[in-house]
Amino acid sequence: MRALVHTILARIAGFLHLGKQDREFHLELEAHLAMAEEEKVRQGMTPEQARRSARLDLGGLTQLQEAGREARGLPWLDTFWLDIKLGIRKLRQSWGLTLVGGLAMTIAIAIGVVVFMVFELAYGGSLPLDEGDRIVAIQTWNERAQRLHDTALQDLERWRTTVQSLQDIGAFHTIERNLVIGNGPFSSVSRSRLAEPVSLAQMTASGFRLARTSPLLGRTLSATDEIPGAAPVVVLGYDVWQSRFSADPKVLGQIIHFGGAPHTVVGVMPEGFAFPVNHRFWIPLRTDRGTLAGPQELAVFARLAPGATLESAEAELAALGLLPSPTVTPELMEQLRPILKPYALALTGDTDRWLVRLILVLVTLLLIPPCANIAILVYARIVMRQEEFAARYALGASRGRIVGQLFVEMLVLAGGAASLALLVVGLALRWAERNLVSDLSAGAPFWMDFTLSLRAVLFAAGLAVVAAAIAGLVPAIKATGRQMQTGLHALGNRTGMRLGATWTALVVAQVALSLAALPAAVEIGWGTVRKGVLGPGFPSEEYLTAKLAMDGNLLEATEGTRSVAASSEPASTALANTALANREHPPSLSTADRFAGRQIELVRRLNAEPGVLGVTVGVLPGDEPWERIEVGPAPPVQQSRQDAQLLRRSLVQKNQVDLAFFNVFEIPLLTGRHFEASDFETAISEVGDLDAESTSAIVNQTFVKQLLGSGNPLGRRFRYLPSDRRQESTAQQALTWYEIVGVVIDRPGNATHGTVYHPAEAGQMSAPSLSLRIGTDPIAMTSRLREIVTTLDPNLRIKDILTLDEIYRQKAAGNNIGAFSLGAVTLSVLLLSAAGIYALMSFTINQRRREIGIRSALGAQPHRLLGSIFKRAVGQIAVGTTIGILVALVLNYLLPAEKVGGWSVPGVIPAATAVMILVGLVAAVGPARRGLRIDPNEELRNS
Amino acid sequence: MTETRSQILQGTLDLMVLKTLEQMGPLHGYGIGRRLEQVGQGALIVNQGTIYLCLVRLVQKKWVSAEWGKSENNRKAKFYAVTKAGQAQLQAETENWQRISGVVGRVLQPETGS
Repeated sequence: MRALVHTILARIAGFLHLGKQDREFHLELEAHLAMAEEEKVRQGMTPEQARRSARLDLGGLTQLQEAGREARGLPWLDTFWLDIKLGIRKLRQSWGLTLVGGLAMTIAIAIGVVVFMVFELAYGGSLPLDEGDRIVAIQTWNERAQRLHDTALQDLERWRTTVQSLQDIGAFHTIERNLVIGNGPFSSVSRSRLAEPVSLAQMTASGFRLARTSPLLGRTLSATDEIPGAAPVVVLGYDVWQSRFSADPKVLGQIIHFGGAPHTVVGVMPEGFAFPVNHRFWIPLRTDRGTLAGPQELAVFARLAPGATLESAEAELAALGLLPSPTVTPELMEQLRPILKPYALALTGDTDRWLVRLILVLVTLLLIPPCANIAILVYARIVMRQEEFAARYALGASRGRIVGQLFVEMLVLAGGAASLALLVVGLALRWAERNLVSDLSAGAPFWMDFTLSLRAVLFAAGLAVVAAAIAGLVPAIKATGRQMQTGLHALGNRTGMRLGATWTALVVAQVALSLAALPAAVEIGWGTVRKGVLGPGFPSEEYLTAKLAMDGNLLEATEGTRSVAASSEPASTALANTALANREHPPSLSTADRFAGRQIELVRRLNAEPGVLGVTVGVLPGDEPWERIEVGPAPPVQQSRQDAQLLRRSLVQKNQVDLAFFNVFEIPLLTGRHFEASDFETAISEVGDLDAESTSAIVNQTFVKQLLGSGNPLGRRFRYLPSDRRQESTAQQALTWYEIVGVVIDRPGNATHGTVYHPAEAGQMSAPSLSLRIGTDPIAMTSRLREIVTTLDPNLRIKDILTLDEIYRQKAAGNNIGAFSLGAVTLSVLLLSAAGIYALMSFTINQRRREIGIRSALGAQPHRLLGSIFKRAVGQIAVGTTIGILVALVLNYLLPAEKVGGWSVPGVIPAATAVMILVGLVAAVGPARRGLRIDPNEELRNS
Repeated sequence: MTETRSQILQGTLDLMVLKTLEQMGPLHGYGIGRRLEQVGQGALIVNQGTIYLCLVRLVQKKWVSAEWGKSENNRKAKFYAVTKAGQAQLQAETENWQRISGVVGRVLQPETGS
């Protein structure tokens, strides 16, 4: 065994110093010959005889040196290197195959790497902290419902005092607040002190101990800060200290405000520190019951004690169980149990490992269609190169050697494709980090690394090997198998091998698939980019939008839990969850009242601003929630009997708008009426409940087209179905019917689906957004808007101030990527089928050279000759095209473009057919010209 | 005409080279070849080139060490010597060889004896 290891090491060393060792070996052999010659001369030979004899005794010098080199280096690596060089040369020669095959492989591998990186980011292992792999999260798991349950404060307290196998147990949750730096009355803030929404970690002091990170300045939070009544303090992140305080070393002791609450700065953390997720501000979490009553979305963290394992700690937690809670029924209590997970995994979501593996296997399977296609092309090429292989075989190359060389040739192609795919994915990840993640309010968790990991590179390499095996190995084995049978007979005999029925079927299928996919791809692609290309259809750059929220005061105990961002969720869903949290835990009446009052006042003040042409509060365009509705039957006068039974159900987008909305956005009415002041008033006075809505609704024209048909839409009714389908039958009676009072034209963003508008007063909307129509510079208006909001109420939070144009542009950017990917896949399918046709034509010509030669020597017209020869190939393409058209028609009938996010394009199927025929013709031109150039004399001579 | 010179059995050249080096001390490739011819008394065909390939193998396995030096005629030559690992290997292989040759001898005995 040791000798083997020594041999391997020596061979590697030998490979690296091959030149030097060659020279030494040569010297040694020279010395040998000299000694032998001397001795032979001494024995009586002439010098000439001696030299000859010595060389004879030693054996051939060149062969010996060759054998020595093989014995010292890594001969297979030499061969491999030779094959790679040969492969590159061959790929350059058949550049068509290289381009088409390379593109298809690049796309398939890129998709695989993207999926791998998504998993890598979501489940990517340990935290970049001291012994980060021992940091865990404790969660409460509902066994029956198979989902997480809020962790109770009392359990947290008990774990902190009793659990032995865990240390530094603590918790955090994320809140958003307005940040105002410095002291002084808010009514007279200067521009430098404008309120800005920020995320804060309310965290127990143990979080800093757990992270084992010392502060750069001052101190971290301490246990005394958590005592009720302690002076409110804050620890700042490095970037905040740099950007807001110009890295002032005297920052300690300064006051900053969150909402209206002043906090003293007590410390600054070092660069890069963002525990628990991506935070830059830390304030103490007070875990006494008085401060944090009610449901808490607490994320609990801990570090495994020395010697403890995840399993042992979880066993200790399980033995301890959960304390009975007054807010949880005993029945539910029985289903709950504490669980322990690696920290990053717990916070970024969790999926079964086998599911991840299954998806990765499926992604690998994605390689099969393009690679099988390339395999066909490779097979055709091998058949055409059979003379070369037959000659090599005759010269003593083994079958394995020839198969190996073809595999390496494809490996070169797949390797190039994998490198390109990695480059593209690497750039895409960088783009995503810069543009997508920074858009989220919270940003990406600190442990997520958006650079390509080594594992991803290895995965891509693995995919490349699989691709090369499918595209190179399979056809090589099949073709050389025949080679063995035909052997030397194949040399110079072009009819030795044939493309069988499988090949024909594959080309037909290829053409059919390309043609069937083309119209759908065009329609879906156009549907995706259409909005971005055509623009919103109104001057969206004149609209400034912003999201509004109202915070409770940090120091008011009962209000501390409001507008909690879902910190235990992945950052990407935090935004969506904020809206959800607001719906599930509505702000208390007093805050809601205050919020409504502030909204009315804000709108009043903004309307009074010069340059503001209109103000409306509603759901941000494009953010409208999707709801399932059911349309009631048409009134008896118009209905047919069939219609009366038919209750149409559909998904629509639901918007809540104020009185000014349609005016500000200049949305004309088609029929019926706009909302009136009475629609808003009746809702409140009749029902007496602030949350009740008016039953009047306005819909867009697509709603009418898709759901109501040709009759009069006014007066028709619909109702919302519960999101949980199981409750549908029980809740149906209680559902409110809404009546359509008006129809407006489509806005470009909702031209593909129904949209419903409901009247809503200030304070009735769950996640209101402000839209200003302005005539002046939006940038100037942005800071003015901030100023007005800050002076109005420090707890009124305004964020994501953007023009509508920017919002549309951001959305279009994402859509363009989707459309680009779709375009790339379609293009590669099209190119592959073109390459298939090309290979078929080339092969036909090659195989029948002699026949063409003889027939043209007998006086056949070259063009008629070609016609008869291509008859079969053209027939195959025609069959493929016909099948493709039929499939496209059926597909279009079963799945209209609008249903899958597309936009129907008239005449797309004939156009796609024309493109396909054109592609086929272009692919056939080269081989046909070669066929016409065949010299009858030469072919007759060769036969 | 009967062939009186024998080819070296596959795998035994390593053993013979090791033994030669152990007996004679450091030697160059030519010296090893001469020595094997002497011991074989002309009955053994030793392709001298293969000795060098055998030496490459033995050096790679670290059973033999190599060093440039001066030959008796004051020529630059590479000298080979058995290492400790080589000696252990030689002993093991010698025992193995004796066991096998004993068995082969016993198998062949009746035929040659008759």
